[in-house]
Amino acid sequence: MENKLEFIDLGATDQPEQARQSVHDFEYSHKAEITNVYPLTATEKLYQIQICDPDERHNFTFHPGQFVMLELPGIGEGPFSISSSPIRHGDLELCIRGVGNMTNFLNRVERGTKVGISGPFGTHFPVENMIGEDILLIAGGLGIVPLRSPILSVLENRSRYGQVDIIYGARKPSELLFGYQYEMWKQFDINLEIIVDEAEQGWQGPVGLITEILKKRIDQGRDADFRHKTSAIVCGPPIMFKFVCDQLTHANLPMEKMFVSLERRMHCGRGKCCRCNIGSTYTCLKGPVFDYWSVLNLKEAI
Amino acid sequence: MKETTVILAKDNLQGLLRKLGRDKSLVAPVTNQWGDTLYTEITDIDGTELDLSKQPQASLKGFFFPQQEVIQTYDTTAGYEFTPQRHIQPTLFFGVRSCDLHAVLYMDMIFSSPERDDAYFARRQDTTIITLACTTPFANCFCNATGSGPFMEYGYDLQLTDLGDRFLVEAGRQQGEQILQAWGHFFEPATEEDVQLQYQLSLEAGGRFQRKVEVEHACRILASGEVDEQIWQQLSARCADCGGCAYVCPTCTCFNIRDAQQEPSKGERIRSWDACTFSGFTRMAGGHNPINSDHALQRRFLHKLKYDVEKHGKPSCVGCGRCVDICFGHVDITTFIEAVVED
Repeated sequence: MENKLEFIDLGATDQPEQARQSVHDFEYSHKAEITNVYPLTATEKLYQIQICDPDERHNFTFHPGQFVMLELPGIGEGPFSISSSPIRHGDLELCIRGVGNMTNFLNRVERGTKVGISGPFGTHFPVENMIGEDILLIAGGLGIVPLRSPILSVLENRSRYGQVDIIYGARKPSELLFGYQYEMWKQFDINLEIIVDEAEQGWQGPVGLITEILKKRIDQGRDADFRHKTSAIVCGPPIMFKFVCDQLTHANLPMEKMFVSLERRMHCGRGKCCRCNIGSTYTCLKGPVFDYWSVLNLKEAI
Repeated sequence: MKETTVILAKDNLQGLLRKLGRDKSLVAPVTNQWGDTLYTEITDIDGTELDLSKQPQASLKGFFFPQQEVIQTYDTTAGYEFTPQRHIQPTLFFGVRSCDLHAVLYMDMIFSSPERDDAYFARRQDTTIITLACTTPFANCFCNATGSGPFMEYGYDLQLTDLGDRFLVEAGRQQGEQILQAWGHFFEPATEEDVQLQYQLSLEAGGRFQRKVEVEHACRILASGEVDEQIWQQLSARCADCGGCAYVCPTCTCFNIRDAQQEPSKGERIRSWDACTFSGFTRMAGGHNPINSDHALQRRFLHKLKYDVEKHGKPSCVGCGRCVDICFGHVDITTFIEAVVED
């Protein structure tokens, strides 16, 4: 065992503390405004948040799958996946379910509330590397939220991708998110399949598990090319990852072409507060997006 | 003979500290009226008796990373203003044990990468640390097993070794050399015998440990395999979820951040210690908790002995033995190491 800790020389003055006066400099936080709020379901709302300064807004760039820290002075800050398209820069959309202190407070805020946005943080879904391929986007429950950004990104570059399938499962039809966009997605030549665990009145779609739909998709695509020309993006509850990724592995899809978003509780977003780590990997720094190969090497990840 | 190795007569210690304490605040171990030995800020060096014979009950962690600290204040009346709060006070720490210095070096590493934590370094930057080598290890110490003591080889500004009526003083980092130069008249040159005597003492100290904790062996087992499920269950069943081990641990740096509103538009952002043994530590908004409550202690032990070995090549337990004292369920890190090694 190495006997020495790599130690930090404080005598060196090459790292003077920067004077961070304005909010722009301070911990990368941008002043932003909630420009619109609209309820998607009984518990989730979509917040449109605009960074106030036009230059900052334009310079704010992110990749699909990354997250931001949203801060509400006096309430706290928390990490949220971005669910808008990257071409909109600092005109963000965040979909948030009201469950805790901060999110329940958000539930009550009105248009025009000032908030802080810092970020973007984390790894992203490599949609640019998937150009020319078929894409499978698989979401369970709230997993559609981080997935909406790659969906929109793929839609905007539709000509560069082959067949695009979205498979989305939810507990009940009333919990389905972004219902108003399904027609638009379909018109962009995207196969959208939705399945629910329990039917409710008026539901005409299938009832069952997401794996049933996935099986159909795999069966029809089971030619020699399937494994070479398909990439999968998966996001949902941990139990779903396991079944969906196992099924894709059985269909011979290489593990490094399956991407999952592992969401953990995060407080600091800079790899210090020790909440989000899986083993020695901090999901706030190395994640939240991992390929399935790396996930299998992380113990207790799913 | 190195020029940076000198002798300080014990009678000169008070004088030296008085001089050094003029432009810095001085922190050293003192036993208070309730019998607790703690690193204490000393305002009157002549009226205070230092206690170098006992292990301080708390580490230096709280000086650089306080239990509660305001890291920002905010004001949203006129706009959206966040003002960072930085506490800078030049401090001299005297009589620090090697385990505690080692823990500070570990914290320096954690708080400097990948992002530098300004609140921590504001407190840390203007400090000088004078360590005291342990010639007699205390009852619960096992720093020989973690490679963090009882004598330091690097990282200190000055290291003192008690040679009976005098201290052997070694300068490590730049600030230590500056003290030797600036206050040269307190010191005398060291002889070959003094250095030999120190070497002798360090060997004897190594042999005086009362506990044999096989840290390296446990780390190797953890690196290569899984821990038996039963060990986790047995240990976690006795954990009362009090967080005491994480609070006294000099290298536990988990924290929580919350906002405290003072007026409708003004308030403070506060960082406080947290502990990964608390049941809600990793519980997510949807209610899912990736940690099983039968494995309450897993995160802490594996972080110290497995993940940090993977990441930094060295366990982050410094062998100070404080958690052995504080844990009333007797499920401290040494119990875990013994269980793993026996298994």
